[in-house]
Amino acid sequence: MTLLEVSGLNVFHGDLQAIFDLDLRVGEGEVVALVGANGAGKTTMMRALVGLIASKQGRIRFDGAEISAASAEDIARAGLCMVPEGRMLFDSLTVLENLMMGQVLRRRGYWTLERVFELFPILAERRSAMPRHLSGGQQQMVAIGRALICNPRLLLCDEISLGLAPLMVEQIYAAFAQIGKQGTALVLVEQDVKRASAAADRLYCLLKGRISLETAAGAVRVEDLTRAYFGA
Amino acid sequence: MHLRLVSGVVASILLSAGAPFVLGDGALRLWTEALLILTMAQMWNLLAGYAGLVSFGHQVFVAAGAYALFLAAEALNVSPYWVLPLAPLAAAFLAALVALPLFRLRDAYFSIGIWVFSEIVATLVTKSSLTGATAGLPLKTSSLMDLDWFEPTLFWIASVQALAATAGLLLLMRSEFGLGIMSVRDNDVAAMSVGVDVQRNRLIVFVISAAGCGAAGAVNFLSNLYLSPASAFDVSWVVNMMFIVVIGGIGTLEGPIIGTLLFFALREIVTGQLGLSGGWYLVALGSVAVGTMLWSPRGLWPALSARWGLRFMSVERKAPRLALQDKPNND
Amino acid sequence: MAWIETVVNGLLLGGLYGLIGIGLALVFGVMRVVDGAQGEFMVMAAFFAVIVLAAAPDLHPLIIFGLAILFSFCIGYVYQSWIVNRSMQSSDPLAPLLLTFGVSIILRSVMVEVFGADLRGLQLGSLSRASIAIFNINIGVMPLLTLATSIVLFLLLQWMLKRTSFGRIIRATADRRDIVRLFGVRPDRVYACVMAMSVALSAIAGLFLAARASFTPFSGVERLLIAFEVVVLGGIGSFWGPLIGGLALGVTQLVGLKWDPNAGLLYCHLLFFIMILIRPSGLVASRS
Repeated sequence: MTLLEVSGLNVFHGDLQAIFDLDLRVGEGEVVALVGANGAGKTTMMRALVGLIASKQGRIRFDGAEISAASAEDIARAGLCMVPEGRMLFDSLTVLENLMMGQVLRRRGYWTLERVFELFPILAERRSAMPRHLSGGQQQMVAIGRALICNPRLLLCDEISLGLAPLMVEQIYAAFAQIGKQGTALVLVEQDVKRASAAADRLYCLLKGRISLETAAGAVRVEDLTRAYFGA
Repeated sequence: MHLRLVSGVVASILLSAGAPFVLGDGALRLWTEALLILTMAQMWNLLAGYAGLVSFGHQVFVAAGAYALFLAAEALNVSPYWVLPLAPLAAAFLAALVALPLFRLRDAYFSIGIWVFSEIVATLVTKSSLTGATAGLPLKTSSLMDLDWFEPTLFWIASVQALAATAGLLLLMRSEFGLGIMSVRDNDVAAMSVGVDVQRNRLIVFVISAAGCGAAGAVNFLSNLYLSPASAFDVSWVVNMMFIVVIGGIGTLEGPIIGTLLFFALREIVTGQLGLSGGWYLVALGSVAVGTMLWSPRGLWPALSARWGLRFMSVERKAPRLALQDKPNND
Repeated sequence: MAWIETVVNGLLLGGLYGLIGIGLALVFGVMRVVDGAQGEFMVMAAFFAVIVLAAAPDLHPLIIFGLAILFSFCIGYVYQSWIVNRSMQSSDPLAPLLLTFGVSIILRSVMVEVFGADLRGLQLGSLSRASIAIFNINIGVMPLLTLATSIVLFLLLQWMLKRTSFGRIIRATADRRDIVRLFGVRPDRVYACVMAMSVALSAIAGLFLAARASFTPFSGVERLLIAFEVVVLGGIGSFWGPLIGGLALGVTQLVGLKWDPNAGLLYCHLLFFIMILIRPSGLVASRS
């Protein structure tokens, strides 16, 4: 069952075009990796999907409904959520309050505050801390937890591992395995190809705003990937 | 381009030279007033549109110029025309004085700060008998002027001021200095990093802007032969400057001209044709300004010139136009 | 003794100033918008109360106050939704400042034309002029009520922001207005509610002002500078700042007037000017 289907997507930054005629799909419960170099258009695409960028053309169908013209609030309500690049926590809110923002959507599901605290025990300890007092990895956990509380059907994760120590990245990706078990579909946007493809079922590579490779994650050859990543 | 500029200047000079012989007294006075307000508007435009500093306190410079004129004329016992140059100088001096503390304030703080400064000066002037206290000052040496040529002379002075303001702005903005100013407006950190002296540029623009208002203010009160602090420090001065510039097109040179014409047209219609009292005219002006800000935020001139491809004195600068949603990412 | 009475009265006046400032501070804190029309909303509420009182003289003052506050809340919501929100779409920081300033002039001029520039007051009978004596100092009941109300409202607002889910939403929207959309929050609606609350707070200030002194359509703009000074002096980003700033300015004004009766607001302006130069972050350390 295809959960997300994108066809012919063009996204613009003012007069500049950033994404060109892009097709992509994500199935129910699937984990899809989206890799590409800096500047390839990954974050732009994510932001366009969740409705934060309005200047776009093309079709985006989520759970059967056309969402290309929908507002970000409605898209979130439909169950398409994002862990934004750079975490973007609410700095005047405590860890707990940040997590509670996920409850605004009132989507019922597996993920509750207790379950997020089980997933990331350190957050339970630091629930009254302010984001600026947390390490990068802890902040990332809060960002993920906050999105989980929305109980999304599809979660877009933009550059989760950016700026984190390898050990921390391990921890977080271990958590993703848990998240996947609940049936949430995931799109993992990463510059670190190995990490992303290890966790994913399928992989897309983005180059200068176009899909340069689409393949099953296990089956990709290094040469193909390098070419797709950096360009011929 | 230079041909157009020169011919424009020459045409303006010819028109102003001839106007007093053609227009009646009432019309001449109206045009004088219009030219004075145009000068002030261009000065406010210079500061807000090009340097990015919105001032809610520019009335203090209008008052400074007027008081300098009246006090100097009385003290030196000469015809006011001789001491007219002191007006912009006094305003410039005041601006230079207050710039240092004021420039530590940003955005809205600056706007309010300069308004507070104006109120402080207004209160001090109103309390001091040296400046005539609440009653103000009559123009003591008015008898030394040739009153037959009074209206025309004021008109000519006002024309020169308006011309100098507009043409001067054009040349300024076309120059390297002008580029520097606009870069400071858009991103002062970036400007600094390429060697633009931010503080110095801002100071120069601020001082020029003050001087222009001082000159125009002096002529305005000269025409009344009387100066009262209430009208000199009236916030209406800056309100009018602001409305004219915003309606006409902030950051353009043609904008304030259009704005001034509209200002007076509106006044004539509301108080003249419709016979309503002055307050309603302010309501009308305010509504046009608010409407412009909502539906045509860059003002009437950019909208008109885009529609009909008009180009007049193109030194337009556009304010940054990033829509909040479309932040370009490093991606 | 007279000086102590002046200081006490200054503190009471400061309560009113704090009340005038808190609406402005709320809007600036959440939306980074300086609302030039807050003064006019204050006066509008006072006129509303005067009209209602004239039309229905037997209504209890609290009902009249309640209606005026409700009226102001609605005005604020509409004002933000239809007007201010639109000017916030451009990222030009000048836009909302100029716009609200323009709106203030329209409102003020309409009030002058409709109501005239004469002084008016809200007659609440003997309450307007009642005073009690504490420790040999004469304290007006109205001013005391104003200060008390001011403190209560500050506490209420703080409670709302810190402990309710709506308060959480407001704070989150103030932090990141586009990310908050990913959680189903519509920033425009949040802003409209915040402005509505802010205008309602200004209305309360206006009602107290009308009850203890006379007012004209110009009373708003006269108080606007003080309101700005209160907010900036108190410290942008600090919560109790506007109240502290208000108290400081209230005392400064009355002590200044006692010393120099012609000074008007001079000493307040001077204090403000000096403060922003030596300590731009305000009296209370800000966190933002």
